[in-house]
Amino acid sequence: MRFVRHHLLTAYAALALIYLFLPISVVVAFSFNNPAGRFNYTWAGFTWKNWTNPFGYPGLSGALKVSIEIAFASSIVATVLGTLIALALVRYRFRGSATTNLLIFVPMTTPEVVMGASLLTLFVNWKVPQGFGTILIAHILFNISYVVVTVRARLVGFDRHLEEAAMDLGANEWVTFTRVTLPLIMPGILAAGLLAFALSIDDFVITYFNAGSTITFPLFVWGAARVATPPQINVIGTAIFVIAISGMLANILFQNLRARKGAVTV
Amino acid sequence: MLHRRKAAIPYLLLAPGIAWLAVFFIVPMWYLGKMSLSQGLFPLFNFGWAWGNFSDAVSAYQTQFIRSGEYAGIATLIALVLSYPLAYWIAFRGGRWKNLFLLLVIAPFFVTYLIRTLAWETILSDNGVVVRTLQHVGILGSNGRLLATSAAVIAGITYNFLPFMVLPLYVSLEQIDARLIEAAEDLYASKAQAFARVTLPLSLPGVFAGVLLTFIPAAGDFINAQLLGTPRQYMIGNVIQSQFLAVRDYPTAASLSFILMAAILVLVLLFARVLGTERLTVGA
Amino acid sequence: MSDRLTREDLLRRAVAGSALLTVPGLLAACGGSSKSAATTSTSGAAQQLPKTITFSNWPLYIDVNEKTKTHPSLVAFQKHYGVHVKYLEDINDNDSFFGKIEGPLSQGQSIGRDLIVLTDSSGLPGRMIELGWLEKLDKAAIPNIKNLQPVQQHPTWDPNREYSLPWQSGMTGIGYDPKLVGGDVKSLGDLLSNPKLKGKVTMLTEMADSIGATMLANGDDPSKVTDATFNKAIDRLQKAVSSGQIRQFTGNDYAPLLAKGDIYACLAWSGDMVQLQADHPGLKWVVPSDGGMIWTDNMLIPKGGNVFAASTVMNWFYRPEIAAQVEDYVNYICPVVGADKVLEKTDPSVAKNPLIFPTKAMLAKVHQFDSKALNNADYKKKFQRLIGG
Repeated sequence: MRFVRHHLLTAYAALALIYLFLPISVVVAFSFNNPAGRFNYTWAGFTWKNWTNPFGYPGLSGALKVSIEIAFASSIVATVLGTLIALALVRYRFRGSATTNLLIFVPMTTPEVVMGASLLTLFVNWKVPQGFGTILIAHILFNISYVVVTVRARLVGFDRHLEEAAMDLGANEWVTFTRVTLPLIMPGILAAGLLAFALSIDDFVITYFNAGSTITFPLFVWGAARVATPPQINVIGTAIFVIAISGMLANILFQNLRARKGAVTV
Repeated sequence: MLHRRKAAIPYLLLAPGIAWLAVFFIVPMWYLGKMSLSQGLFPLFNFGWAWGNFSDAVSAYQTQFIRSGEYAGIATLIALVLSYPLAYWIAFRGGRWKNLFLLLVIAPFFVTYLIRTLAWETILSDNGVVVRTLQHVGILGSNGRLLATSAAVIAGITYNFLPFMVLPLYVSLEQIDARLIEAAEDLYASKAQAFARVTLPLSLPGVFAGVLLTFIPAAGDFINAQLLGTPRQYMIGNVIQSQFLAVRDYPTAASLSFILMAAILVLVLLFARVLGTERLTVGA
Repeated sequence: MSDRLTREDLLRRAVAGSALLTVPGLLAACGGSSKSAATTSTSGAAQQLPKTITFSNWPLYIDVNEKTKTHPSLVAFQKHYGVHVKYLEDINDNDSFFGKIEGPLSQGQSIGRDLIVLTDSSGLPGRMIELGWLEKLDKAAIPNIKNLQPVQQHPTWDPNREYSLPWQSGMTGIGYDPKLVGGDVKSLGDLLSNPKLKGKVTMLTEMADSIGATMLANGDDPSKVTDATFNKAIDRLQKAVSSGQIRQFTGNDYAPLLAKGDIYACLAWSGDMVQLQADHPGLKWVVPSDGGMIWTDNMLIPKGGNVFAASTVMNWFYRPEIAAQVEDYVNYICPVVGADKVLEKTDPSVAKNPLIFPTKAMLAKVHQFDSKALNNADYKKKFQRLIGG
């Protein structure tokens, strides 16, 4: 009975992951499709040519590069800013905490089309040229709230006694923070960063308004879809997450190797 | 001296992030606010304290407001039920591979929304395996379909916000010391009791966060209804989208936005009250 | 009345298309030679082209050499004039693009583009003229304007073509799968009331297309919209929506549905059908018996753009051999007289395809939507209500 129950959870988790990847498997499959026309909607035959020529569409690689750069930059900045806010909100009681809470929630409630358009109004009024920079600003903007909410969930459950213990043992506040607190809330910060990355790389509406003439990957795909859905898009999408997952795998294996080789470190 | 320096710390921590929000969010919201109280036809809008815009907007689009709340609520509930066991598994059984699984959870986002949805349209096609099986089993009528129904729209919303539920849940669950659960069991609690009395309450901050991060953006969603629904499934997000871009009635779009934002905030406050905010937002 | 492209046709076209892509041959044929940038003067007055010309267009709306990943017509232009063309494919929806540029334009700021392309049936080119947000063409720099198809020469919203020049056109008609429908579809009435098609029909989110086609089915004239005729069309469509006859209103995402058989018939654009037929030769497209719609994507010069540069670019694309080159890839409807003659020699199946070079009979049955009605806020609100927004 315990066997079943123990493995029930694993089976469930496996099913959940399968569900998550069901459309992705279709995307991967269709990256090998060989349509005669420009649409990639129905299966027409197997080919390797999309994979041998993934950047066959002019503009696709440039758009991808822009999206990845913005995703990295905006998720890092938003994670830093958001973590600081979360720390302030959870650890301290101060006047204006309610207003700050509100200010964190309201951007999430704003429909994308008006957020994008009103931000554009700001840039136009202040004569800020639209392009890479304004996209970055917009992405950091909407990512902050998501980071705050995620990191806060971690901080709320954090056991302050550990910090007290460290201070009792002579560590000052900064050392306590960096050696005790930060490592323990790191999973929360990492999760928030991942979420911000995902939000940024998939954003369309807000990016559209504030991109000027810069083109990101989602903008390219949405734009092209009016006349074509080249299989190369599927190839690129598949490739990105294969690379990401391989990178993560390599990192984990590397850590394991180090842990086995290295002596016990404190 | 020390006291004053200490008192300044929260403000220093807040400063950079809040400054960013103040400049790039509050100022645009100010413009939006002025527009919501204006009247006129594109491109000449005159500010005139037109409070009527708000009442007009509510009465004209009541159905869509309510529908958005329903769809977002159902999607959030389903997402919670689907995500909790997954997050639990990653947190307690993931071991060294935790981060890999987290990455797997958001990996679908690397393939753009449109391509993911086209894939779902292929899977749920009227002539596809899924629909034919459901028709055979009797869940769908002989002419039944999945696409262009409210089921499809809700499923689309759920699927696309799943990572927003999984990640905060994980963040909270991962922090729970497994020994607490062991201790409960040592004290003769059954597995179910240990879960209900120890794990679940400790994971509430994650549940709260996940529900927020899913419900709030889902309520304003438009794209799932547009691609997967009929006009009878359209949400308030679609209305705002079309009033803004197609009709170019900016005052209506602006007032609809503010009503939506206010409605969501009210719901969030009620939800927080029910769960008990103090526990969820302020540390021990 | 639709032509069907077989796989061989398409392959042959692709091969022929690449033959056309030998630029020196083209230039030699039309007597041009490389001139230096500074002294290019097609107008008599010594005007200079700027070093960079920025041209915004819809994606995949210009010829592409998939091996070299370039746009041969632009490469030829750049070589001929010695300037650089920054070609952006960032227009994917008329209203969205307009929403993006109206801010700067309303404040008198330039949008950093010399040439943009917008659809007449969105009402936006006409609107921009009214708002004074477009520059007039430098006709002296566009002698090839004489190659403009006669039927395109006097649109109601720009009667003397002072601000615009067509890039491509498209027809809106009925696309359907004869196997699933169980026969041929001839009129829009079929779509709206045939019980066999219930839940298997889509219409378009473009007001001009959906309302226009319905007005024609009602026997009314879409180029002269009145409240009565508009409301009649809305009512008819509303009935079909409420009964579930119409499954969805779509942009061009009807294409995957038709391809997979989730819908049997729909309002469809001619250019899409060309692509769908490549993989599904059984699909058909017809102009409805009561009439269909025609729309045109127009090249426009936004305020602040370089008029001479933009006009020179326009003139280039009105050379029949260049237009043929673009047409061979894009496969919508060519506005340039003489392009079909060029293609008859190099790619005859394109030249003979009535979806790309419609016959006079087809052109007689397609209509344009009343440009004034396009910008009527009441009409737009009513239509948005119908389609769910």
